[in-house]
Amino acid sequence: MEVKCLDEVEELIQILYSPNPPSVYKLAQDRLQTLQKSNEGWQLAQALISSPNTNTKFFAALTLIVKLNKESANLTEDDAKELLQNVVGWLLTSMNDGTANFVLKKLCSALVTHFIYFSQLWPKCLRQLIYCLDIGRSMPVEALDEALQADAVIDSLDARKMWMAIQFATALVEEVGKTEMNSEKYMPVHQRLAGNAADVVSLLQRGLARAEDGCSEIALNCYQAWILYAQRASVDALTAPLRGLVEPAMRCFTVQELFQETAALFTDVLQNYSSFFTDSHYVALFSLIDSPWAVELYNKLRETPDDHDAMSFGLLLLAFGDAKVHQLMTSTEEAPQGLLSRLAGLTAANGHLVGEDNIFVPALEFWCTFVETVVDSSFTDQESSQTWRPYADQHIQNVVINSLRKIRWPPAEVFAEWDSSERAGFGDARKDVADLLQSVFTLNGVRLVSFFVDFFLQSLQSLAWAEAEAAEFCLGALADCVTEAPEFDLEMGRVFSAPFFELLSGFHGQIPLRLRQTSLSLIERYGEFFERHSERLPDALNLLFAAVGDPVLGGPSARSISTLCSSCRAILTGEAQAFITQYKTIRGSQVLDSIAEERIIHAIASIIQAIPQENIRLSTFNELYQIIREDIIRAQQLKHKPALLNLGDPNYARGLESWNNTQPAPEAEEIALQISLRALRCLSNMAKGLQDTKEPSVNLDDEEQPAQVLGPLYLMQTDIFNMMYSVRLNFDRSGEVVEAICNIFRAGFSETVPGPFVFPAEMVTKFFTEQLCWCPSFGTLLSTACSFVGSLYRGPKTNVPSQLSLVAYWAVNSLWILAGYADTEISQNSIVLLDKITGRYPELVFKLPTELLENFFRFTLKVLSEVEPLPKGAAADFWSGLVSLKPDDSSLQATLDNAMGTLGPPLAQSLIDNIGGKAARSELDKLSGLLKKLVMHQPRAQAWLEAALFDQSFPDSQVTPEQKTVFLKKIMSLRGSRLTNQVVREFWLACRGSNFTYAS
Amino acid sequence: MALCQNRLQEERKLWRKDHPFGFYARPQKNALGVLDLKVWECGIPGKEKTIWEGGLFKLTVTFPDEYPTKPPKCKFVPPLFHPNVYPSGTVCLSILNEEEAWRPAITVKQILLGVQDLLNDPNPESPAQAEAYNLFKKDRVEYEKRIKRIVRENAAP
Repeated sequence: MEVKCLDEVEELIQILYSPNPPSVYKLAQDRLQTLQKSNEGWQLAQALISSPNTNTKFFAALTLIVKLNKESANLTEDDAKELLQNVVGWLLTSMNDGTANFVLKKLCSALVTHFIYFSQLWPKCLRQLIYCLDIGRSMPVEALDEALQADAVIDSLDARKMWMAIQFATALVEEVGKTEMNSEKYMPVHQRLAGNAADVVSLLQRGLARAEDGCSEIALNCYQAWILYAQRASVDALTAPLRGLVEPAMRCFTVQELFQETAALFTDVLQNYSSFFTDSHYVALFSLIDSPWAVELYNKLRETPDDHDAMSFGLLLLAFGDAKVHQLMTSTEEAPQGLLSRLAGLTAANGHLVGEDNIFVPALEFWCTFVETVVDSSFTDQESSQTWRPYADQHIQNVVINSLRKIRWPPAEVFAEWDSSERAGFGDARKDVADLLQSVFTLNGVRLVSFFVDFFLQSLQSLAWAEAEAAEFCLGALADCVTEAPEFDLEMGRVFSAPFFELLSGFHGQIPLRLRQTSLSLIERYGEFFERHSERLPDALNLLFAAVGDPVLGGPSARSISTLCSSCRAILTGEAQAFITQYKTIRGSQVLDSIAEERIIHAIASIIQAIPQENIRLSTFNELYQIIREDIIRAQQLKHKPALLNLGDPNYARGLESWNNTQPAPEAEEIALQISLRALRCLSNMAKGLQDTKEPSVNLDDEEQPAQVLGPLYLMQTDIFNMMYSVRLNFDRSGEVVEAICNIFRAGFSETVPGPFVFPAEMVTKFFTEQLCWCPSFGTLLSTACSFVGSLYRGPKTNVPSQLSLVAYWAVNSLWILAGYADTEISQNSIVLLDKITGRYPELVFKLPTELLENFFRFTLKVLSEVEPLPKGAAADFWSGLVSLKPDDSSLQATLDNAMGTLGPPLAQSLIDNIGGKAARSELDKLSGLLKKLVMHQPRAQAWLEAALFDQSFPDSQVTPEQKTVFLKKIMSLRGSRLTNQVVREFWLACRGSNFTYAS
Repeated sequence: MALCQNRLQEERKLWRKDHPFGFYARPQKNALGVLDLKVWECGIPGKEKTIWEGGLFKLTVTFPDEYPTKPPKCKFVPPLFHPNVYPSGTVCLSILNEEEAWRPAITVKQILLGVQDLLNDPNPESPAQAEAYNLFKKDRVEYEKRIKRIVRENAAP
């Protein structure tokens, strides 16, 4: 190696370690890597290792590792031995000349890399290194005396040499552990590694005992690394000797500066490999954590749960509990019970969650496991044998009480000081408590509910708001667990009574926001209770309505109102009028959040739906509808006369919701559009609220009830329709308007009984077919039309064909006009629409004008050959349906046969091109479906498919003509059975080539 | 079957020990109040600094008997407006596909984080519902408006 080159390398390394722009780093890095990989790499490493510069030495060690990984195959055995002797020599020299530890560690890694590739040369690698360390120079591997007493040599190592040997033993197990244990290549390396176990144990035994010169700490780390490896390898030859170190390691607990490391080691093994410890180890560990020393640490933890040592001890205690949970649970003796009491006490440390008290959450986790273990054994064991159960219940009860105290919100000024992660952590800890309570409920049921109810009522009496809120939170957590059994209703009835309602209606003056929030959500969570106790429902709803205008509580309250009104509609019909008035009042004085408003509308409409007398139902509905109708009229006036805009009036200001203050104020027309959109969404929620909740009774033979033209319902429908129609005309460029209208229609489609939004079919058809194909969101219109067709099929038949003809014409004509400019949504939905019609009324489709129909068929074939997955899937379904049609009408059959004569070949071509590799993997099943139908129903399929397979346009040249023939034969002989999918998949894979894995 | 149960016990422990902020995941309870480890109720929060921030979306994760050899099925309840969510609510994601990137080592946490990532980073290569997919491709402004509305409707408590 030339000096010039060495200088260059030193310079490059210098660049890496000094401040430079990223591009310069990259250049230097690239150049260094090239040099490392070059043939001179070995000499480079050798030359640099003696550099006085630490970074250069580090680079030299790194280069050795790179070279060994890349080129060890090129080394002869003698080369490898020489290299080993050199590296050990460098390590010894570096150790003595005060080289930095990180370089020494890197040299250890280089030695381990050597072991990985040449373990046969020095199977007892640790012994070899210790031997060299002892005599202070590098020796050839042959010089190692097999009979050498490792113990004696280790005893004589000084602190520095001991440190080095342990570093090597750590790197050894960590690096070898990274290689594949079961591969042929590395298996011998792992076997030879295990052969070093006895030496490792000798080394660590002494290392652990040498706290005074700093060896114990790294010995603990090394021990942990070997245990981790032993667990993965699960070789007794390794585990057994390592177990011998448990006691020496345990002695490290008493050394103050080793406490953290020791606790971490034992916690880790207890958590991840609890079977590593034997019974006698557990006995020893138990007496350790039960000792006065441990009790002192425990008390410290309860006082100051953010103390590091105490925290480590807490985690150790929990890990021990976790590992022995079953034994602790079933023992009634004093010592284990004492430990459980202390574990329960960990949920009652000082300080707020989670910023000050870090032990609560891990402790809770242990108690969740404990409770689940109790639950498990209460389902499997004999009740009579559970003498331990009262003890367990007592501990659980303590934990519940502690948790209840812990989850109290802190005073506002404390909370304000928390950062976002502390706040989120607090919320998460509450959820963990909810989880625990649900498990405890399985054991204690009504007793648990009763406990919280008592606690809540007491807190209320003593005006202890934080406690009341916490109790409500706990009751809320149990809402999904309680059943409708009377004992639960009895308990909840104690909560939902006068004091509760007084509290929220301001009897005690202002109460904390959180308490109001949790109280309101408690009402929502116990909706079913109110359904059974309708006498309390109006009180609850009044409270909720009072909160609707609140910026924080409004959203959740509206949701509760919507849920409660919807599920209790039948008992609330008498309140409809009052709620409408309340709604009117609120919106007259402020702009409601739009989603909250929609929920309230939905709530009121669902009550209206339950009004039994038709005339009252309709007139009440009309009252609600008129409010929204006025919005629509107002918006239209505003559009035409912008001067009307008065943002001081909530009726206009409601159009500003989506505007944020950073943008220039919107034009009157935009505000008018927003008002209209809100109105349409309210209508859509009205329509959903009016949906019948009973199972529809469908009788297809029913003749349609003739619409009472000019009857009140019909007039109402016409008015709503005209309103929607006029919004559409006034804001003809808005896709949102189209979508909102479509949602209104959809809500009516599922209904079987007449209603304001269950429009006559003619009205719906008229709306759709008048929309031209460049209307915004045209694809949404088509997909809504699909739902419309579905609803026609569910209803009486008489009127269906005439409507379908119009809709089908509208769809294919739109495609004709779009002439290839249809987007994926239009493409997909128009095909789905025609598929729906063809399945039931093929004759209507074949009566469409020929040129439109031919255009449609061509279009579907084109889509089938393209890449867009959704239209392609729709086209595959359409063709599957079409090729399997078997109409009774012979003239229609003739038309169909005739059409297939023309369409069959291009269809087969498109299908085969897909299967020949063009399709994505996820599309294969759908395409196989089409292929199966084709083979099953079309006698000419074989000829079409064969022509397609051997056509020039077939996408792939990887498969031979023989493979194609075999494929065709298989497909035909399977006659559309399920195996076809497999055959298609294999053929497609063959066409894609064997390199292909998951790219599509 | 036993493998499935053991692994799920382990997953539950892992989740309790370490789960990302704002998420929840817990096995459902059957009528007796006993945990059914094979069906988990989860909540996926929208990622910070994305249009999904502030939302919390309910997801049911159902583990088959062959788990972890086979992946669990993730379903948004109610179905979510998103290009890679089927109209049924089922999530279409490579790590949840046995034939694609599923590996038995994938944890519940990784799955849920994967689903969270998917929210703001849909994969246009594998659309699962037409509505969201088309809007996503055609009109990004309109798409984002729609998402923001959905986030408001599913606001995290």
